[in-house]
Amino acid sequence: MNIKNAFPVTPSTILRLALVGVFDIAVLSLIRQLLDDGNYPLSAILGVVIVIITLCYSLEKLRYYRWLGVSIAAATLFVLYPILYTIYLSTTNAGYGHILTKHEAVEFLERQQYVPESGQQYTWTAYRSLETSDDYLLWLQAEDDTTYLTGIGTATKPASIGADGVGAADDKGIPLTIQGYQRLEKRDTVAIIDQLGEIAFGVAPDIIRITGLSAAATTQQRYRYDSDSDTLTDAETGLVYHPVEGVFETDDGQELPPGFRVGVGLHNFERFFASSALRGPLVRIISWNFAYAILSVFFGFALGLFIAVLFDTLPGKEIIRALLIIPYPIPALVSILIWRNLLNPDFGALVSLQESIFGTAPNWLTDPMWTRIAIIIINMWLSYPYFYIVSSGALQAIPTDMLDAAAVDGANAWQRFVKIILPLLLKIVSPLLVASFAFNFNNFNLIYIFNQGNPPIAGSPIPAGHTDILISFVYRLAFNSAISDYGLGASISIVLFLFVAAITWGQFRYTRVMEDQNA
Amino acid sequence: MKRFVFLVVLIVLAVNLPLSAAPKVVAQTPTLTIWTDDQRLPVLTELSKAFTEEYGVEVVVEPQGTENTMNTMTQGAATGEGPDIFTIPHDNMGRLVDTGVVAPIDLGDKAELFLPSALEAFTYNGELYGVPFAVENVALFRNVDLVPEAPATWAEAAEIGRQLVDEGTVEYAFAFPDLGYNYYPVYTAFSGYIFGRGEDGNYTADDLGMDSEGMIAGADWANTLIRDGYASENLDWEAAHVLFESGQAPFIITGPWAVDRFKTNEVPYAISAFPAAAEDGEPGAPFIGVQGFMVNAGSENLLLAQTFLTEFIATDEAMQYIFDNDPRPSAWVATFEATDDPDMRGFSEAGANGQAMPAIPAMGFVWDAWESAGLLITQGELTPGEALTQAAEQIRTQITESE
Repeated sequence: MNIKNAFPVTPSTILRLALVGVFDIAVLSLIRQLLDDGNYPLSAILGVVIVIITLCYSLEKLRYYRWLGVSIAAATLFVLYPILYTIYLSTTNAGYGHILTKHEAVEFLERQQYVPESGQQYTWTAYRSLETSDDYLLWLQAEDDTTYLTGIGTATKPASIGADGVGAADDKGIPLTIQGYQRLEKRDTVAIIDQLGEIAFGVAPDIIRITGLSAAATTQQRYRYDSDSDTLTDAETGLVYHPVEGVFETDDGQELPPGFRVGVGLHNFERFFASSALRGPLVRIISWNFAYAILSVFFGFALGLFIAVLFDTLPGKEIIRALLIIPYPIPALVSILIWRNLLNPDFGALVSLQESIFGTAPNWLTDPMWTRIAIIIINMWLSYPYFYIVSSGALQAIPTDMLDAAAVDGANAWQRFVKIILPLLLKIVSPLLVASFAFNFNNFNLIYIFNQGNPPIAGSPIPAGHTDILISFVYRLAFNSAISDYGLGASISIVLFLFVAAITWGQFRYTRVMEDQNA
Repeated sequence: MKRFVFLVVLIVLAVNLPLSAAPKVVAQTPTLTIWTDDQRLPVLTELSKAFTEEYGVEVVVEPQGTENTMNTMTQGAATGEGPDIFTIPHDNMGRLVDTGVVAPIDLGDKAELFLPSALEAFTYNGELYGVPFAVENVALFRNVDLVPEAPATWAEAAEIGRQLVDEGTVEYAFAFPDLGYNYYPVYTAFSGYIFGRGEDGNYTADDLGMDSEGMIAGADWANTLIRDGYASENLDWEAAHVLFESGQAPFIITGPWAVDRFKTNEVPYAISAFPAAAEDGEPGAPFIGVQGFMVNAGSENLLLAQTFLTEFIATDEAMQYIFDNDPRPSAWVATFEATDDPDMRGFSEAGANGQAMPAIPAMGFVWDAWESAGLLITQGELTPGEALTQAAEQIRTQITESE
């Protein structure tokens, strides 16, 4: 007790505080950097993370929450933040032409320079001061062969060979020396050209900048943003731009790229629900999406369970089991591609086998029904080892005395399976089935790798395929075309999320009811 | 609590000290970052070593796929992400320029040393945005054991193919990787087009030719072969190439990327220009894709990057080196004319009347719809007319929706 009330300085406490300190320093520097980049949402979330972790690990009172603190922090960062960000995106017009924030767009535009009509174009040669390494002079040669000398903060003056410390000229008429300065050869300026490019030579308003390896020109800032009137003025043309729906626009509708991201409220959701073109064959896609998820889980589970029951009692089951689990460790990507080639109508091994047996084979890649069947079969192949492992384990948990008792009562093997094994098993695995359903509902990989959602649906207002599920359709909509529309994509994924959430909730309720009955 | 406050003070100090107290770093030599694809990676790595030796500027060359480069550039470049220089097919240019992330390039006198068509492909709104180095287009490949002379018309090609199938020499008369990009020379032979050009000579999304008569006539040519059983009902890029290299199809339309695999499989091929729709007609024109270097407008080394391209890449040595290590018809006139490689000659002939691939953003809507139409035609689900009309509607819908 005494020790606790005093100052419990043990080596482990010091180590812990040191680690927390190191962690905080690392994250705080990251936040600093993010703030510099203007990424406020992520900085805020990281701020929350840092507070949680620091409090949990430095306050003795909160020591019971240490491990919980880590998971809460991780969940905040990797689950909560993406969700919030998706919701935020769905209310913006983020996408092609509207990627930047307004601040970034203005910054970008204000960087642009132009050569005013009174401006001059020159070729240049640089001279570096012998005293300080960041002081330079430029020897300029205008198009009419007049020559000038300009420096940092000194006005541009006509200059000629032999006057004002300018030394003798080389065969191109460029002075070899200038008093106090050393001439830089072209090849030596390559490495420092961007340093030179940042320098404003001469005095305002006649600022001369380097615009290339040999070109320089009088330049001026082209666009100026006025935050009071929220307008952008083009110094070259005099046009005034106002921000309209995420892009600077003149009164007569002339747009100035790049655009920026602005809030559009629920407009993306409206677009999705109001435009029959955007929804495409949505009903068809949703019904296939359900069928796909349900059938995949059903057949995968049925096959896994069947094998588990079948080999539960067989001799040599260890070897068979090992063989059966093989599809599991093979990456799904590889399996799916192999299946795709096996089912290729021109030289797929399975297709020629079918042709030699039946004389004909269905077109597994182009016939809508057969493509769907192929997808279910492949998913069965991919998922049965999982259900096999799960079922084998669960079967061990079923008390054998119940089965023995049933056998004594005269129940045959089928009856024992249906009346005793299955109900008990379902009780154990139903949460896994629900999870598997939710996973398959959004199982983009299989659909996209196998056939990209094809064969296409004839008569669809925008491209969509017979095997497209919602998520692959969203992908087509938001990413497949060059004109990405992240705002719309985000709003559809929110709709999708609500779908899956509602279904999962319903299923969990249903399984709970079932469990109650069983209990 | 005391301890907690102490910790916070310490941390705040620690975070601020090194950044604020550190003396301003005196300008150091810059590093150029270049993103390119896998084929060009070794070439550019070698080239940049020479640049480093000559100018003392470090160059880092990193492999990146086109898609990745485009995503980084269109999403992050304005906030300082991305390379200083990247190589990209020119048809991505519209999106890059519209997003404002690439800087114009002034080639000065050197412009004359490039193929005019290659420079034109990299010109957008009247400004040059890229330094082209290779010109890519598809050409007609034929199996010379089966077809010694290149056909002059598409009807003739079909006839040769049909005969070979009837004799039992081959399985199919023609191998189709798709009915879109690769098949475009057939559409154009029948005077089909994707986007028309506006008054200013630029492609315009207002004139979509997907459902034009020429396109439908072009698709009919393949459709007839397929319906008669002389071409596969399965439209698959990989499968089509396998058919050609295994001698099961006498013709295929594909690009320089397929040359290596045909050589490996020792299929006796020849590359030629495209047949015409009729004896006196114009030969089919492929899309021309130009590979080039572009400069990130948000780069801290903007002038250096531009200098690297204009002074170092736009030279005989560099262009020849790029060509030697990854043979594609060069965009540099001297290199282009110096080659006597028959494959390169074949591609150049096929691309002589080629059309620059539209770089307008609306092209992004074309591919998916076009691919779907091709599948629907080959599967016999829709007639060419129906399928292409539908594709045109889909593209128009998406253009309208995106506005």
